[in-house]
Amino acid sequence: MTSVRSALDRLPAQTAPVEGAPNADVTVAPASFDEVGVILDTASEHHLRTLIWGGGTHQGYGGRLDPVVVLSTAGLNQMVDFQPEDLTVTVEAGVRVSDLEDRLAEQGLTAALPETPGNATVGGVVSAGISGWRRARYGPTRERLLEVNLVTGDGRQVRGGGRVVKNVTGFDLPRLATGSFGSLGVIVQVCLKLWPLPSARANVTVADGDTALAAAYRPQAVIESDGTAKVYLGGTPEEVEGQSTALGADPVEGWDWPEHLSGEVQWSLRVPPALLRTAIKEVRGTYSYQAALGVGEVWMAGGDGDFQTLRTWAESVGGALVLVDGPPGLYERIDPWGTPPPSLSIQNRIVQRFDPVRILNPGRLPGGL
Amino acid sequence: MTLTAELRDILGHDRVLSEPLERWVYGMDSGVVRGDAQLVAFPETTAEVAAIVRCARHYRTPIVARGAGTGLAGGAIPTQPGLVVVLTKMNFVEIDEANATAWVGPGVINLDLSKQTETHGFHFAPDPSSQSACTIGGNIANNSGGPHCLAEGSTVGHVLALEMVTADGDVVMLGGPAPDPIGLDLRGVVVGSEGTLGIITKALVRLTPNPPDVRTLLTGFASVEDAAATVSGIIARGVVPAALEMMDQRMTQAVERFVSAGFPTDAAAVLLAEVVGLSAAVEAEAAIISEVARENNATTLRVAADESERARLWLGRKSAFGAVAQAAPDYYLHDTVVPRTKLVETMTRVYEIADRHGITMLNVFHAGDGNLHPLMAFDSEEEGMLDRVKAAARELVEVCVQVGGALSGEHGIGIEKRDLMKLVFTEADLDAQARIREAFDPAQAFNPDKILPAGSRCFDLGRPPLEGMWV
Repeated sequence: MTSVRSALDRLPAQTAPVEGAPNADVTVAPASFDEVGVILDTASEHHLRTLIWGGGTHQGYGGRLDPVVVLSTAGLNQMVDFQPEDLTVTVEAGVRVSDLEDRLAEQGLTAALPETPGNATVGGVVSAGISGWRRARYGPTRERLLEVNLVTGDGRQVRGGGRVVKNVTGFDLPRLATGSFGSLGVIVQVCLKLWPLPSARANVTVADGDTALAAAYRPQAVIESDGTAKVYLGGTPEEVEGQSTALGADPVEGWDWPEHLSGEVQWSLRVPPALLRTAIKEVRGTYSYQAALGVGEVWMAGGDGDFQTLRTWAESVGGALVLVDGPPGLYERIDPWGTPPPSLSIQNRIVQRFDPVRILNPGRLPGGL
Repeated sequence: MTLTAELRDILGHDRVLSEPLERWVYGMDSGVVRGDAQLVAFPETTAEVAAIVRCARHYRTPIVARGAGTGLAGGAIPTQPGLVVVLTKMNFVEIDEANATAWVGPGVINLDLSKQTETHGFHFAPDPSSQSACTIGGNIANNSGGPHCLAEGSTVGHVLALEMVTADGDVVMLGGPAPDPIGLDLRGVVVGSEGTLGIITKALVRLTPNPPDVRTLLTGFASVEDAAATVSGIIARGVVPAALEMMDQRMTQAVERFVSAGFPTDAAAVLLAEVVGLSAAVEAEAAIISEVARENNATTLRVAADESERARLWLGRKSAFGAVAQAAPDYYLHDTVVPRTKLVETMTRVYEIADRHGITMLNVFHAGDGNLHPLMAFDSEEEGMLDRVKAAARELVEVCVQVGGALSGEHGIGIEKRDLMKLVFTEADLDAQARIREAFDPAQAFNPDKILPAGSRCFDLGRPPLEGMWV
């Protein structure tokens, strides 16, 4: 125990506990990749379970963890390289999504990350593999990841990909890291592909979201919230006007994205897009919901429906019902992910090779990895 | 028993080739390196692929999967005496119109997929120049691109799920039909892994709705600088065209002699731009492109009047490599990426390299992505020419890396660029990639010697696993 105690005392970049994070022996906020390396090497040597903490926005996903060390990415907060003409930006993991998007918007650009991110950090969004509503138009967040810098569980500094918008140089570590929940390493920096922020932005309320999705050629998003469907349009003024005409409705200027659902228990129901209507029927009346039409995801909150029946159905059609957030006791009763994927043994072998002592967010991934 | 006999038990006599001429044919892809195909097998089902893998494993014979062999980086050739598994007979297509997806066999030809889905109002967005011959399996292996990847992204964004035969001969499903399958994104890392992680036997691909309208613009410029400034100007105005392609004068002249596409042969650079969407949107975007081109002194500016003119322009673009055959008996096509703002600087240096080595260089490339395709035309019979070509190729890759570029944008690393990986990655980076490979295929049964230089897996890096852990 003494050696662990002295190892903890020796960790660099110690700081006060982060608000909202679970109790830990030590909280660190490294400000360089080298510091992250030293911390993780020590943590591996002494088997110190380490919880990675960005904005605390996506900590409800996955298995619970009783950490010895909380590693906050707050000290990694630099915008490293912004190349507006190349449509790329490189930022450290602790940069807040809202700060990044504000900065990009000044140049008429967007990373199309989640639109109402709260305190979420870029590293947190990438690590949790969270996408915004505009994935309907620009694809999920992992499509934006051009380069990733990781510090692996045993403290190695590793980079994959590159700062160009198209690249097949070696294995796709950036995509593998997206949604990895820290299991490969601490994501310390990423380079993202950018899109022009449409000069005209509008939303249109429609009676039937499904029909609207087909009528408006590739809108930014179609969201149905508790029975009301809205189409989000963007592009040149002519494009938005054309889409509005096709929808036969008057556009309201601006996007006005819906706020996150509130509720102690929250879920993400994921199904093939054509089954979204069926999914909504299952959910409607029992939960409050926001559904991404054309994508196949329903965010659900509240309610005390029979989640197991819903999960069994979702898994039977190739989808999942994922617990997004809930009270601690719930995680003891249910698996937050459901049935693990069939490739679990390969996933396990990869994780072992990046975090051999398994100190980073252990148990967070499906199948208890 | 021998491997040949066992494979013939599984596949029948005719689907296993072992004659010298047959082996010679399958020892090559479209690159410049020859491999050693000992046996060539043509499975038709996933079960057959799995049986082949188990069988080859028993005989410790390396396996190289291939499609049409259009790859340019030597990714589909056996570097060691090995078994070539040709997947072209697995070419089924099952369209799911409601989900805008299709389950396809790896042997489906890229263009055939778009043709088969056209009546449903869809196409498969990645469109390499070889699309009339290359297979979806090959596209997945290389994470192939094409002109229309500027707006739509490369193959990986169009693959939702993969059925794969593992090194153990097991069949595993990666990804799925719903968004964000749970767990690590193995689908994402298998795409682009050039057949080193497993053999794809089935893929769920995303189909893209055919646009209601399209405008294709042809612009010509008196300098490459003006053309490059136009590319940047269009994107700075908030327009990301569906495609934005550039050709230099030597290339347009070669193409004109070959197919008469209607390119202005007096222009130093020609830019082909395409925008898709609702009619009102494409009109507006075409107007912006025209305006930017005029601001940058365009000497030619023409909007394709109809589908046949549009088709002719694209035929010109996609015939570029064929056209070069007229200029010289051999060519060496390169594929590198640079940040778009470094295009002009890079091009200038690339021409200098070719001049210095006395090599004819033509350029056709995906300007919007900064994805260069310098093409060296030469006669390999000429004394010392091949060495000069190789030296020039190495120099041009170095130049691209110096300005912040990558080794390959869409052709892959294969054997061609394997040893150049050290130019862009550290020892620790390469070790991490080797670890991924090791997790899938510890014995390197699949496509050995590809992508990663020898010695990439450094066992002295990092900590050993905990005792008793499930490794």
